[in-house]
Amino acid sequence: MSLETEVEALRKVPLFRGIDETKLRLLAFISDRMEYKAGERMCTQGEEGDSAFILLKGAANVIVNTPDGEKVVAQAKENSIVGEIAILCDVPRTATLIAASDMDVLTVSKDDFLKLLKEFPEMSLEVMRTLALRLERTTRDLAAARSDAAA
Amino acid sequence: MEKSLFSFIWKFSAKQQIFILLVTVLSYPVSYVLLELPKLIVNDAVQGDDFPRDVLGFEFDQISYLLLLCVGFLGLVVLSNGLKLYINVYKGRLGERMLRRLRFELFQRVLRFRLPHFRKVSSGEIIPMITSEVEDVGGFIGEAFALPAYQGGMLVVQLGFIFMQDPLLGLAAISSYPVQGYVIPKLQRKVILLSRRRVKNVRLIADKVGESISGVPEIHANDAAAWHSADLSDRLYENFKIRYEIFNRKYFIKFLNNFMNQLTPFFFYLIGGYLVIEGNLSIGALLAVIAAYKDLAGPWKELLAYYQLVADVDVKYQTVVENFDPADIYPVERLTADESVELTGDLEMSGVSFSGGAAGQEVTDINLKVPEGAAFAIVGPDGSGRSEVLQLAAGLVSPASGTVKIGTRDLDKLTASTLGREIAYVGGAVHIWTGTIRDNLYYGLRHRPLEQLEREGTALRDYKRRLAEAAETKNPTYDLAAVWDDFSAAGVENMQGLDARALDLLKAVSLESDIYRLGLQSRFDPAMNDVFAGRILAVRRKLAARIAGDPEIAGLVELWDISKFNASASLAENLFFAVPSDPEISMENVPELPEVRAFLKETGLDGKLREIGLKIAETMVELFANVSGDSGLLGNYSFITQDDLPEFDRITRVARSEQQRPGLTQADQDRLIALAFKLVPARHRLGVMDDAMKEAVVAARATFHKKVVATGDSFVAIDPELYLPPLTIEDNLLFGRPRVDRRDARQRIDAVIRTIVEETGLREPIVFAGFDYHVGVSGSRLSAGQRRRLALVRALLKNAKLTILDDIATGVGEEDQALRVTLQEILKGRTFLFGAPNAAAASEFQRKLVLEQGRMSQDGDEHA
Repeated sequence: MSLETEVEALRKVPLFRGIDETKLRLLAFISDRMEYKAGERMCTQGEEGDSAFILLKGAANVIVNTPDGEKVVAQAKENSIVGEIAILCDVPRTATLIAASDMDVLTVSKDDFLKLLKEFPEMSLEVMRTLALRLERTTRDLAAARSDAAA
Repeated sequence: MEKSLFSFIWKFSAKQQIFILLVTVLSYPVSYVLLELPKLIVNDAVQGDDFPRDVLGFEFDQISYLLLLCVGFLGLVVLSNGLKLYINVYKGRLGERMLRRLRFELFQRVLRFRLPHFRKVSSGEIIPMITSEVEDVGGFIGEAFALPAYQGGMLVVQLGFIFMQDPLLGLAAISSYPVQGYVIPKLQRKVILLSRRRVKNVRLIADKVGESISGVPEIHANDAAAWHSADLSDRLYENFKIRYEIFNRKYFIKFLNNFMNQLTPFFFYLIGGYLVIEGNLSIGALLAVIAAYKDLAGPWKELLAYYQLVADVDVKYQTVVENFDPADIYPVERLTADESVELTGDLEMSGVSFSGGAAGQEVTDINLKVPEGAAFAIVGPDGSGRSEVLQLAAGLVSPASGTVKIGTRDLDKLTASTLGREIAYVGGAVHIWTGTIRDNLYYGLRHRPLEQLEREGTALRDYKRRLAEAAETKNPTYDLAAVWDDFSAAGVENMQGLDARALDLLKAVSLESDIYRLGLQSRFDPAMNDVFAGRILAVRRKLAARIAGDPEIAGLVELWDISKFNASASLAENLFFAVPSDPEISMENVPELPEVRAFLKETGLDGKLREIGLKIAETMVELFANVSGDSGLLGNYSFITQDDLPEFDRITRVARSEQQRPGLTQADQDRLIALAFKLVPARHRLGVMDDAMKEAVVAARATFHKKVVATGDSFVAIDPELYLPPLTIEDNLLFGRPRVDRRDARQRIDAVIRTIVEETGLREPIVFAGFDYHVGVSGSRLSAGQRRRLALVRALLKNAKLTILDDIATGVGEEDQALRVTLQEILKGRTFLFGAPNAAAASEFQRKLVLEQGRMSQDGDEHA
């Protein structure tokens, strides 16, 4: 797979939807392309995050530690970005990621990602918009959950 | 040292100088006869009569008489020039020997300086003094006596001739001498003082430059380049001013000289003319006097020049020598004595005071007693006098009053050979020598050559000559090539034992794993040790088998396979399937190599590679054109640098332009090919390598091996059965590349390599390979911690009676704590002083002494 196909995949990631193609090509180029075999660990909850993962092919299980042990809480699918929180602000990884199948992943390092955002403010805006949308949805979910609990 | 140059010359070369004088005098009659013979040939042989002549009982007719005289003339020409040659070589050699003696003497004096003296002098000043400043002195020494003797003699003869013609004219001829003899020296003195100032200024410039070079990181880190530039520029202006004034005066002296010399003929014409008119002198005599005066100018000029040279060289000598004569210099025996006494007994300081010349560097009235074999901690923050007390105990500095004794021996009276062998000292500022780790480890054992090298034939002759020359110049006669490592001092039998001992100590101070890593990263020459190379190859096979057997690992690495394209390796490695024999050759230079160029042309790959390079360049320009230079985004890709972008921008525009001419230059094409060579397909996913190209690349390998690798020695083929010297040991162990598209492949493969290396017992040889790692200038390629530990091992290897460590491993961390325990263990039964700034580390010691502001505040005998 070359840059062009990676750019196609990146375009499908919601976070990058509004970003023009040359920037995406740049993002793809400064990223490292990695293969993960099914069952391979991509990152571990609690450790410091140094890169975000853009899933090009395959899926990963999102696992969190609970008092009863590790538990799969979600699955990250193709064309999504995971682990971006840990590289945007200095918080430990909030979940463990384990490849659910053989995967192709673009990993972008924290340094490069921040440099890119600094370089292209419109990209930061896009990231902000997506994060805000996500926050809004989370807040809505939380409110719904609370009202459910109250009822 | 001799205060004046002439006493130095006379002291060390009186015999040779007299010899030169004798040979010079010997050449007088030869020169005289050489002047006489042509006259004889013309007057007597050519125009003479009454032949045959009788010479020494043989009869000569006119032709054979002419032949005799001519052969005699030729013989004398040969003799005279031969004498000149001989004396010139002799003078030159004498000068060089004296220079060698002088330089060595100066260097030895540097070694004899007491430590505090080095706060006043810097290497930047000392180096030019020993090297360039005394250079002229050597050239002068041979001439010192010969030149005035020869030219003076000539002058006297010619003056005598003039006086013979007419005393009055003689007086006229020398009338300007008193003026020149009085005025010129006065002026000359000014020039001398100026050149003294100039020498000092140049020395300062050297010092500033040296300081800037060693402090370059600081300059950049503090943006102080402008300040240093201004500083140096100021000094250069100072130099200019001095030089300019010297010129002015020097040329004025010259003017005065020339004027005086022209003034004399004025007197000749006036006085001589008057005498001729009066009829008291013939015109012929006047002309002869004027002609003689012309000849007189030569020697007189030479003598004046000699006088100026003497002044100049003498100043240089004095300006240098005065710097090497501090009042408190150690006696030379302290340095050169070879007998070493055993230091047994307690270390005792009584009433010791010392001052380093600044606040916080002084101690007063120290009384302490360290029983033999005890381990003491000396506690005190920096500036408390802790370091001074430890340096006093090591004999590195001498007390101003009081005595430091071990047993009955006063340390101040002992020679370096005793102090350096019986005492080991590691201070806070350790020095690592430029060289290998091995050199640094065994440095403490290299006191004197121990085993002489066996020499035969020419080597022996050369060696004898070197010895004779050293004796001639009072240089040491030690043989640098001999074995210097003192095995018995380290308590071992031979080199293997020493290596093993060093390894133990490296493990003890936990430096071994660092050296192991350095060993992995180092290159070694299999010609030196083919057994080791063989073992590496064996491990390579084992590793390959393990990789093949374990799919988990197999996915992490792409092994070299001549029939497959390796996506984790660069295009160049893929194409050549060989590496340049000289590891210094980078990808930038490879396309310029003629054999590579010929190969690319022949296989037609050059066009394709250029096209690939062009595509890469275009993509790079497109991707990064709008990225600002300071973003650092490009910096992470060594592929291409920000500085190169405009260049590639130009190249792509030229390449894509419709115009055929002027087209790309050869250098541009090389750049494109070099760019393509650097491409690692799995990392730089630019889509420029299609399957057809990959096949072409793989197919070209055989041709490259046949045409380039087999015919020259600039490349070494990647061969599973061969050790590849240009690659590191690690790369040789892993016959392939960790995949760049698998996470942490490098680290995970490293772990596998480490395990196999341990299993096969190869770790030790690799550590020994690390011994040959070059540490860079003053150990700059090692970290501060590594440098300190290396110095520590160096000290421990000496097995000294007394070991002194100052500010080493004093941290409260686990690692330092463990190291302290190990050190106590190693040094058990020997006297051990441990300097620490805080009491925490010292509490583990038998006893501790606390220093405060240069005084002993507490002779604590409490057990911690």
